[in-house]
Amino acid sequence: MTTIVPAAGWTGAFLGVAASLSLVIQGFRAQYRPRAVRRGQLAVSVWIMLGGAVLSMVALEVALLTDNFTVSYVADNHSRESPWLFSITTAWSALGGSIVLWCLVLAGYTAVVLRQVHSTEDRLGTGALAVMGLVGVFFFALVTTVANPFEILSNPPDDGPGPNPLLQENILVAFHPPMLYLGYVGFTVPFAFAISALLLRRGGVAWLRRTRRANLVAWSFLSGALVLGGWWSYEVLGWGGYWAWDPVENAALMPWLVATAFIHSAVVQVKRGMLQAWNFVLVLATFALTILGTFLTRSGVVLSVHSFTESGIGPAFLGFLLVVLVGGFGLFALRGERIASLSRPESLASREGTFLANNLLLTLFAFVVLTGTVYPILLETLTGDQISVGRPFFDRMAVPLGFGLLLTMGVGPFLPYRHATAGVIWQRLRVPLLAASVSAAVVVLAGVRSLGVIGVVFTAVLIATGTLRQLVISSPTRTPRGFVRLLAGQRAYWGGQLAHLGLALLAVVIAMTGAFDTRSTVTLQRGESTTFAGYQVTFQTTRQYPAPNRQVTEARLTYHQGGQVVHVATPRVSTFRNRQQAVGTPSVWSTATEDIYVALADLRTDRVTLNLYRYPLMIWMWIAGGIIVAGGFWALSSRIRLRSGSETGEAAPMSRTVDDSASSDAAQANPDA
Amino acid sequence: MKRYRLLVVLLGGLVVLLLGVLVFGNLNSNLVYYLKPQEALARKADFDDGRRFKLGGMVAPDRIQRTPGGLRFTVTGGTAPDSTSIPVVHRGAPAQLFRPGIGVVLEGTWKGPRFVSDTMMVRHDENYTSPKVDTGGARR
Repeated sequence: MTTIVPAAGWTGAFLGVAASLSLVIQGFRAQYRPRAVRRGQLAVSVWIMLGGAVLSMVALEVALLTDNFTVSYVADNHSRESPWLFSITTAWSALGGSIVLWCLVLAGYTAVVLRQVHSTEDRLGTGALAVMGLVGVFFFALVTTVANPFEILSNPPDDGPGPNPLLQENILVAFHPPMLYLGYVGFTVPFAFAISALLLRRGGVAWLRRTRRANLVAWSFLSGALVLGGWWSYEVLGWGGYWAWDPVENAALMPWLVATAFIHSAVVQVKRGMLQAWNFVLVLATFALTILGTFLTRSGVVLSVHSFTESGIGPAFLGFLLVVLVGGFGLFALRGERIASLSRPESLASREGTFLANNLLLTLFAFVVLTGTVYPILLETLTGDQISVGRPFFDRMAVPLGFGLLLTMGVGPFLPYRHATAGVIWQRLRVPLLAASVSAAVVVLAGVRSLGVIGVVFTAVLIATGTLRQLVISSPTRTPRGFVRLLAGQRAYWGGQLAHLGLALLAVVIAMTGAFDTRSTVTLQRGESTTFAGYQVTFQTTRQYPAPNRQVTEARLTYHQGGQVVHVATPRVSTFRNRQQAVGTPSVWSTATEDIYVALADLRTDRVTLNLYRYPLMIWMWIAGGIIVAGGFWALSSRIRLRSGSETGEAAPMSRTVDDSASSDAAQANPDA
Repeated sequence: MKRYRLLVVLLGGLVVLLLGVLVFGNLNSNLVYYLKPQEALARKADFDDGRRFKLGGMVAPDRIQRTPGGLRFTVTGGTAPDSTSIPVVHRGAPAQLFRPGIGVVLEGTWKGPRFVSDTMMVRHDENYTSPKVDTGGARR
């Protein structure tokens, strides 16, 4: 009986491999000879692929929830005492299960692409489905081979170790990995359409229009996943920070940077017909970086604090990465010339000019992060020396690049396309520049001497006031209803602006927490107090209590202010059964203005050593992340309308077809509805 | 399409140039070697000039002294009694749950026979049992 569940998991994965293979064959055949294949055949393959993935995932969850230790993955990563929530999240706490999740998300995206393909006459669509199938073959094959979670053990253990204790601390593990995968895997869609367009020798905007939604969905989820990852690190790891330029973090950041560049350059191509070849490069690079990132995190090739996996999967991913790079860029090299756009920007002082600047900065940023992440691996491969790249390298590079990006955000969205005269630029930026200068001056007068904070406040206010001005100027009527109509009508533009505001806020918080943090390490006897950040912190007691699958020791600290107890903090240490090392959990007290963060360095019954940190405005970092994601989804909810005509006035332009583009693409006028 | 090819070549050249600048400029000054206790001792001469490196090992179970600004302890390369050990003076906050027997990664410099560190990380690995001291970039 217990072997039925893993057998179902196996079956699902094999169905996935078979269905993906048949999708590849049918899809490419349909692209070559549309009449040879019926849409129904493609649909059957896609639905079987999705069904197989769902079957695998459900089998894995059932095995975990029913304590089925005959399944290898359950035996390795689960324990009887795990609470049900963490039993569910265990499904993506280790390699095998996370690849199953990957397959599920990929199959889901493939089904969404299928809905867009109304008939096999749509050669761009059928080709894209075939490429999705190719990627599917690889991932489903991983589940059946090197990353198989469903191996049946002949003598199953009575109980298992449970997932990594770090992954049983915080509810965020239920959201961060699925979100990350929704982002990561989503970039397969633009990649698939790009490859399909290259095979068809079709430049133009058809493939861009049709991947816009998937790309924005993926980007929004990846943005959210990055912020949640930082939040998890902050709440769980206890080192008091949220970002360490760890290879695991960089792996998620690199595709995000390139995808962000692509979102912008796609707008330029749709509007002005430029950057056609460049867009292909960005999409191929984004996808390649997601595979590289998975390779880095899943192969244990990097020395990382939370490198969760070591397995034989490294070579498989490296091989796949090579196929993607050689195949994708080789195809691009063969076909690139024919799709290169002929139009050039008329002037760099225009909106497309700032788009170019933003693309340059973002790709440079990604390149820097890539170099710093991959160089140690290359060096170790060549010389055997283990090295790591220190944080200063990344910080020194990221700060100027970040400032450049903030500046382009403060200027670009408010410039007209084609050509902006100095007069127009001045007219549009006068008020924001004035407001930004005044804010910067106020900050300086308030006694802040940190250049970073002053600069960030300046650019953030520039972005905010610029956006506000744009809203007031372009609103048809200056009433609340008028504003709502404007925001609802031009969602692509205003969603982007919302994301910019979120990023500006994020930058302010990063600068503030970096410049004005306080930290101290104190050892307190029971009943003893210390003063920290205006609070009197007293160590009251410790208590021990059993929790599911762990023994918890908790220190009770009270924060007094003006004789009142304002907060009770309970940082704790958990010892897990069948795990040697204890895990500490910091206690974070967040208010609108500051976070007081306390982690245990040492805990005895009558003495405790604390690492105390105070960060101003920290909570706004997570709020900013929420704003960025909301911006992405707001932009996503727009319907691309097909209109023609030329832009007049200062209104934020609508997306529409390009009549002056260099492409002669008579593709399906199939807006991605 | 000569111009297109020219553009590609130019871009390629730019990338190579950038890589050179990155690697030989900023990157090299920020490289931090990761050494186990026996390697650290064997290559002590290379790092005696105050170059920073990372020392990874196990916190020895003998006396851990807390000092006003941090703590003193010993890092060893393994559990065997004859394994290499290095005395450490750590300044700053100890990592969460610092205690004997855990694997730590310290960053700092040699000062005479002692290793003076200012950052400490506890090593976590997938299996989370007693830390494997010989963790490197796990290669097969």
